[in-house]
Amino acid sequence: MDRDTRMRDLTDKPGGRKSQVKSTHKARSGRPRPMDSVLGKNMPSSSRNPMGAVRVPADALSIRGAAKGAISRLRRGGPQALSDRQGPGFPPGRPVRNRIISSWKEVLDSRYNTETRFLNLERLAADESLAQKGLRPFTEENANPKEASVVWKLAGALEPKPQTISLAHNKMTSGAALHVLAYYLPDLANLSLEGNQLTQWRELDAIQGRRNKLNNLRELILIGNPIRELEIKNNRAESYRSEITRRFPSLQMLDQEPITTISFNADVPEASTSTATPAVNTAPQSFFTKEMGPSFITGIDSSVVNEFLTRYLPLFDTQRGALLDVYHPSATFSFSANTAIPTRARIEGFHSSPSMPNQRKLDWTAWLQGGLGGSRNLSRLAGGLEKMTKTLHIGSVQIIEAMTNLPATRHEITSSPDRFCVDAWPIPHGEGMGLFVTLHGQFTEVPVEGVRSFDRSFILAPAPDDSRAKANGWSVIILSDQLNVRSYSSNEAWRPGYMRVQHGENIPTQPMSAWVESITPQARAQLEAVQAFVSVF
Amino acid sequence: MTTTTTTTTTTTLTSKDIELATRAADNFQRLYYSTYDSDKRMDGLSKLYRPTSALTWNGNPYQGTEGIRELLKGLPTTKHEVQSFDCHPIPGQSSFSCFLLSNSIPKKAEICFTQLIGTQPPSLLVTVSGTVIHGKGTAGNPASTPAKSVEGQPRVFAQTFMLVPDPTAPQTKAGEVATYYINADAMRFVG
Repeated sequence: MDRDTRMRDLTDKPGGRKSQVKSTHKARSGRPRPMDSVLGKNMPSSSRNPMGAVRVPADALSIRGAAKGAISRLRRGGPQALSDRQGPGFPPGRPVRNRIISSWKEVLDSRYNTETRFLNLERLAADESLAQKGLRPFTEENANPKEASVVWKLAGALEPKPQTISLAHNKMTSGAALHVLAYYLPDLANLSLEGNQLTQWRELDAIQGRRNKLNNLRELILIGNPIRELEIKNNRAESYRSEITRRFPSLQMLDQEPITTISFNADVPEASTSTATPAVNTAPQSFFTKEMGPSFITGIDSSVVNEFLTRYLPLFDTQRGALLDVYHPSATFSFSANTAIPTRARIEGFHSSPSMPNQRKLDWTAWLQGGLGGSRNLSRLAGGLEKMTKTLHIGSVQIIEAMTNLPATRHEITSSPDRFCVDAWPIPHGEGMGLFVTLHGQFTEVPVEGVRSFDRSFILAPAPDDSRAKANGWSVIILSDQLNVRSYSSNEAWRPGYMRVQHGENIPTQPMSAWVESITPQARAQLEAVQAFVSVF
Repeated sequence: MTTTTTTTTTTTLTSKDIELATRAADNFQRLYYSTYDSDKRMDGLSKLYRPTSALTWNGNPYQGTEGIRELLKGLPTTKHEVQSFDCHPIPGQSSFSCFLLSNSIPKKAEICFTQLIGTQPPSLLVTVSGTVIHGKGTAGNPASTPAKSVEGQPRVFAQTFMLVPDPTAPQTKAGEVATYYINADAMRFVG
């Protein structure tokens, strides 16, 4: 109780009138997350003073900054409470506030190893110096979140910046004390929460907020927390690791074990390049320097691709079961729905066009939930590992079952080939060759006769002589198949010719070459195929 | 299940494989498009390709690291928004499991690699769908632009990648299966 009073003393400043108005306005603006307004408004994040947290003298590491992290206080108190404790014009030298800050600063200094850049905040309750200073562990269940904000702000001002922080054995039950950690120490590399009482995923979400994230966290330790131990005990270690790595994508070590990762070259520190990098061309351009090209098939006879598609798609429309043989017994298939409304199509008015009267009847449910597992849009995938596994259909039998559960379709590839567009070329695969095929187009969703756009990607391989595919007249088999279904956009998007970047009156300096108009797309594709075959392979 | 391909024997994918592939694709698409939209795109993106990589941009072919640089040289600035992506380990090769460097015990990893000489962890098929704004978008349109003009508005793009492991890349950290690069990449504006 007296602690509460003390904290109030710290912040109950007669803030300037101006700031009151401002903060009230902010708090009323309906922002759902008090943290956002708090952080955005008060933290030293403005470009005017990006280093504010570091540069300001210690006693100006005011609770002003810290008070901003008073999340629970804001929630309880609302705008009025907020305006009470804000304002740029705090007179310097608030004795109580300064005493708290300097006490915490002493604690941090005594627990910080500048050589290893390790801030040891373990077992705070057992630290008698805290009690002597009149401080209580900020990690305690009923601690005032302001206290935590003070600590993290001070920690963020340590020089050099801490790389490793341990909060082990503090009986923490929630992540509340870690809310602003990522704001003040965004580059933290190692964090130990060992031996605490964290039980819920949402406690970790408190650390990894929507706006402030530990994007460079390499190592995390949760050993001894129920959140981990229960999962391990229930044989859900894999799912546990998946939940953690999903939240902390940069993690390399979890609970002192390496995390299996696939790297990409850009992770590697910048290699010195001999040539100066040309800056990105920011000069305004009215047109793209390259035109939209027609279907591009190279390295193989385009009839292989065309025959496959003109046989596959009608069967997909009328008799999906008959596609069993064209899938490799271990093939993979998945579908995903991109439900976003395409801006250009909206402006063109396709959704309400009288010539497409059935667009309004389309409904995403069958694509989001059907097909034995639902859409596999990995950017939206809630449900973690289980959903991730369930929505990937492996093996020809399972694939056909899933496909049969999707809405009936009609791809008019033979009657309207211009509504489709293919890019395909051979790729090395295993010890042989495969074929990389991407198809864009549209289909009618038969039940309501509405039109959707789609993208489909196949990895194909030559059908082996003794395979059922070969026996049934397929020259290729499918190894992988991904279908992405989108709201309708016109095939005008890939009409060959020049493309504008911006609206403009000027005529392109190199107008679409006359020959492009005079020859058929097929002929041009073949011509390019020959040229590309020489240059690519 | 009998193998009917001429390619190498397949191994059943485990949920661990699927999780790893998904995480890799997630990291990849973040890295790819944030680099694309940055002023370091020329150096950053070209590192993700190899001289043998083949790519097409709206039906225009380019080859390898030089090809991507040539493409980027002529492109206005971009701002991508990924709306959906998906990823499969492509069957026909072994699963990742053999390549999991078992918890910082390098010896075990060596054995694993020795046993698997000549094979590779699986390639990945990644498809991405989203929107892209070029240049200044609608803000770059002249004042005379009609209100209903689509110019400068975001386009819908679809991009498919085949990612393959680079057997020559050194392992740089514990737990790393391999370094992957883009072997094939087909991008089109589709809306």
